[in-house]
Amino acid sequence: MGLMELAWIIPASSFFAFVGIIAFGRRIPFVSPMLSIGAIIVGCILVFVVVMGRIDADPTGIDFFSRKWFEVGGTELMLGMIIDPLSIVMLGLVCFVSLMVQVYSLSYMRHDPKLAWYYAIHALFAASMILVVLADNFLLFYVAWELVGLCSYLLIGFWWEKREPVEAAKKAFITTRIADVALLVGILLLFHEVGTFSMKETFYQAQLLGAGEVSELSSGTTMIATFLLFIGAMGKSAQIPFHVWLPDAMAGPTPVSALIHAATMVVAGVYLVARTFALFEAVPNVLLVVSIVGLVTSLLASTMALVNTDLKRILAYSTISHLGLMMLSLGAFGYTAAIFHLVAHGFSKALLFLGAGSVSHASNQTDIRKMGGFIKVMPITAITFGIGALSLGGIPIFAGFWSKDEILIAVFNHRNFLFLIGTLFVGFLSALYMARAFYLVFFGDLKNENKSVSESPILMTAPLILLAIPSLLFGFSVFGSDEGYGGIGRFIFFENAHDFHFNVLLGSISVILAVVAFGISKPLYITRKFDLNRIKKYFSGLIRICERGYYFDQVYEWFFDRIVLVSSRFIAWLDRAVVNDVGVNGPANSMGWTASKLRLHVTGKVYNYALVMVLGSMIIGSVWWIMVAG
Amino acid sequence: MTENLHLLMPELFLAILAVVVLVADLFLPDDRKIYLPWLAVLGLIGLIVLSLNLLWNTDLMLYGGLISLDNFSLFFKCVFLVLGIIVILASMDFVSRWLRSPGEYYSIVLFSILGMILMVEAQELLTAYIAIELMAFGFYVLVAFGRNNRKSNEAGLKYILVGAFSSAIFLYGLSLVYAYTAVTHFDAIEASLSSVLANTDQIGPSLWVGMALMLAGLGFKVAAVPFHMWAPDTYEGAPIPVTAFLSVGSKIASLAFMLRLFSEAFLPAIDQWQIIVAVISALTMTVGNVVAMVQSNYKRLLAYSSIGHVGFMLMGIAALSSIAIDGLLLYMIGYAVTTMAVFTALTAFFNMTGREDISDLGGLADTHSYFAAAIAVALFSLAGLPFFAGFTMKFYLFAAVGTEGFLWLAGLAIFNSFISLYYYLKMIREMYVKPTPDSVRLVMSQSGVSNGISKPTKLITCLSVVLTLSIIYLGVYPLHLLKAIQAATLSIW
Repeated sequence: MGLMELAWIIPASSFFAFVGIIAFGRRIPFVSPMLSIGAIIVGCILVFVVVMGRIDADPTGIDFFSRKWFEVGGTELMLGMIIDPLSIVMLGLVCFVSLMVQVYSLSYMRHDPKLAWYYAIHALFAASMILVVLADNFLLFYVAWELVGLCSYLLIGFWWEKREPVEAAKKAFITTRIADVALLVGILLLFHEVGTFSMKETFYQAQLLGAGEVSELSSGTTMIATFLLFIGAMGKSAQIPFHVWLPDAMAGPTPVSALIHAATMVVAGVYLVARTFALFEAVPNVLLVVSIVGLVTSLLASTMALVNTDLKRILAYSTISHLGLMMLSLGAFGYTAAIFHLVAHGFSKALLFLGAGSVSHASNQTDIRKMGGFIKVMPITAITFGIGALSLGGIPIFAGFWSKDEILIAVFNHRNFLFLIGTLFVGFLSALYMARAFYLVFFGDLKNENKSVSESPILMTAPLILLAIPSLLFGFSVFGSDEGYGGIGRFIFFENAHDFHFNVLLGSISVILAVVAFGISKPLYITRKFDLNRIKKYFSGLIRICERGYYFDQVYEWFFDRIVLVSSRFIAWLDRAVVNDVGVNGPANSMGWTASKLRLHVTGKVYNYALVMVLGSMIIGSVWWIMVAG
Repeated sequence: MTENLHLLMPELFLAILAVVVLVADLFLPDDRKIYLPWLAVLGLIGLIVLSLNLLWNTDLMLYGGLISLDNFSLFFKCVFLVLGIIVILASMDFVSRWLRSPGEYYSIVLFSILGMILMVEAQELLTAYIAIELMAFGFYVLVAFGRNNRKSNEAGLKYILVGAFSSAIFLYGLSLVYAYTAVTHFDAIEASLSSVLANTDQIGPSLWVGMALMLAGLGFKVAAVPFHMWAPDTYEGAPIPVTAFLSVGSKIASLAFMLRLFSEAFLPAIDQWQIIVAVISALTMTVGNVVAMVQSNYKRLLAYSSIGHVGFMLMGIAALSSIAIDGLLLYMIGYAVTTMAVFTALTAFFNMTGREDISDLGGLADTHSYFAAAIAVALFSLAGLPFFAGFTMKFYLFAAVGTEGFLWLAGLAIFNSFISLYYYLKMIREMYVKPTPDSVRLVMSQSGVSNGISKPTKLITCLSVVLTLSIIYLGVYPLHLLKAIQAATLSIW
């Protein structure tokens, strides 16, 4: 018990680092990375302490630590945290990847004049992301959820001198905000029914509902509320149709993409669904929606990844696609599989992004058509990137293989045949686009303009190596011994623990597909054994649709231009016409006028004010009288 | 009738203190005038101690029911006395730099506070009217106190014209109510209203129109839409500590008076005015917050933002229940502390630069990182972010209003809070992202002491630190204050 309660220090230390950087960072530049990295190291150490505490108590148990904040009427507001396997695993992922990315940034961002600001937001992000994971009530959760959104906005728009990042930041903020409104309404609905923000109580009521007993929750409201929560999760986790912000978010610094837009913040949506799984289980219809959205998202996103030529955008689409797989898995009751894949993907994708950052840092470009042959000049980056690619592609022994297999089994057990085919196809595409990116960047001939490219400094390659280790080995956590640790299925599970099963037929199909994808990529993209252009011509219509991202952006643009902007212009006109002292003609600017004009202007205005007041009084008076008389 | 005269000692001493400050101004040589505000502050501290000792848990009606001394009065008495201390401390540097005749300034501040205290204690319409005018007259003078400043004169003129107009409306409403009921005491009005409502066939328009006109008159005092138009001009023109005083003191006093009037005198007619007040509240918060988005002068922006906050506070009167009143009182305190924190920091900024535009705040985080942080904390609190006073107050009030059956109003309020975040962030972005404008840098270095950056006085810095810490304290641990508030609420509900 005692050890676990120390977990509050993890977000607190990062938060104080944020305050410290804001206070002193501008004076002493080097203090900011030290504070931020120091805080996250403290966090990493404490994660071990908390794990020890968890193991001492009951490894798979769940503990709530809550303190009263204040109360309104009969409603108590609590501040508190949940410590269970789910939050511990997330804590470990967030702290470890944050540390790697912050160390990497030391070198990647070292010439940036706004280094203090960069690390300040990183520290704030770490604090709020950990708060998302730990929060034991929906209110605190929502606050932290909005804070990570804010950090994401600030970091995407980090280079605010340029137009593109600013636009991307706005797009990300607004898109996720629309989804957040749904989340807020969902939370308030649950609050309205259960009468508390406490997750413990809400889940208890949901379980009662699921078991068909008397519960504060009614099934209709629960379905709506749960669906609204899922919309919130869709926004954060970039599920179709909210996915449009994530590819644009790549305009931010690459380490930010690795941390926030691949490994941690975007999985908050998946985490939300997993955390509130008790609610989802009580209304299985919503789970079906979850798996459909997940499957559609991952299918569409993986085709978009296949045709894109920008390395970071390929990775972004691949992230969307894998987030879709996690959602699909959750929707198919594959709770363990989803979280397992979340972690495996987190390590691998952070590794890939940092690798991509290393490549673009060295060659000053992100277009894969202009790259090639980099394995000769930057071997460490190439090998680690390769490990990440193989892991995501689902090649055996790498982390991604095991988690993909778990997902396939979940889908096989709980959803119909079409879902299974779709999942296998996504797996194939995901291996194909990873192979394509890997081969086009690192193999083939080194182009002349890239002759000066060389390996990145140790501060950048060390995190790559450290991230490659879990990408390689994390998958083996599926196996457990008979006593003690019993494999991931006996650690993270929802209601019933299970052992690792390897379905030979499914496993071999997925392995064959992955190997084929990697196998045909080399002749397809490098040695050009097949005529790629003929294939392209054959599918030209389809490819164009994929390249345009299925026209989501265009439809949204039309909608905003024609409908939203027109109505807001109308509101703006109304505002000016009704409230007459808005804008530039206020008396502030009238001071430069001549005295006579000024006097006229002022009496006129006071007269206006008086007139409005009289009208107002008359309206109130008559309404009042009408209400009494009628 | 005079047996309990000693219970009015705080009010009497406050009046004497104001006169003493005024007279002392005549005799003190110019270099000693700095003692005047300290005299006033010491007096106010003494009065707080006196009031708490004398009036703790009394519940009495004095002068045949003209004035009531209960926990509600005591609570607000302390609030206004503390507010007076903060305003005087925040003004000291400003007054010595920008204004003449400090004695008059401080003495009028004290008179206005006396007016506010009497407003909250009043149990009878004419007493209340006189108290309102006492407060308002003080403000008319204070707003126009920058005698050499055209803007200040213009603001004072507008304020007094529109104010006179609204007083007339209020007085006319009062006379209509009196004409119908023939009483002016709150409890007598309540009885009369109940009997009128019991036999509905006697209903004539004059009573309802009278009450509506009183509502309109009070609407002017709190700057509720559509009686708000004076506020931005007046706030912009007034000297900045006066703007702070106006936006906190006059609003809280008027709302507290309104609360007493509506929860005691007009209570039987709640079915009629409840929805009217709710609609006014909805309009006020929406107009205030929407229009604030396009302002470029920070005083004007805060004027509109304060209109928005009045909209939120009016919800508490519309919902009128014990927890809604708790919420309203908590909101008043949180709003007062936060607004004073913003204005104190802005006063310090103004003392250094003499600038009032939002764009002039550019780069404040580089030149004066503490004040930038203080302003940012206060603005976040006004926007209602957690762990600041603004969150607890908004949460409490909105939740209370929601549970009292005004869910739509609470929803609208939440939506408006989101809007407000936009323009508060605009100010914060200016301070943290933009570079210092050259003109401001020039002014700073001219008035400056060392290395090109002018320094605010220690006094205003300390005051700002205290206020900022209070914001965080109220956000993290509001339970102490809530106990006091619940005691105050109990005596009127």
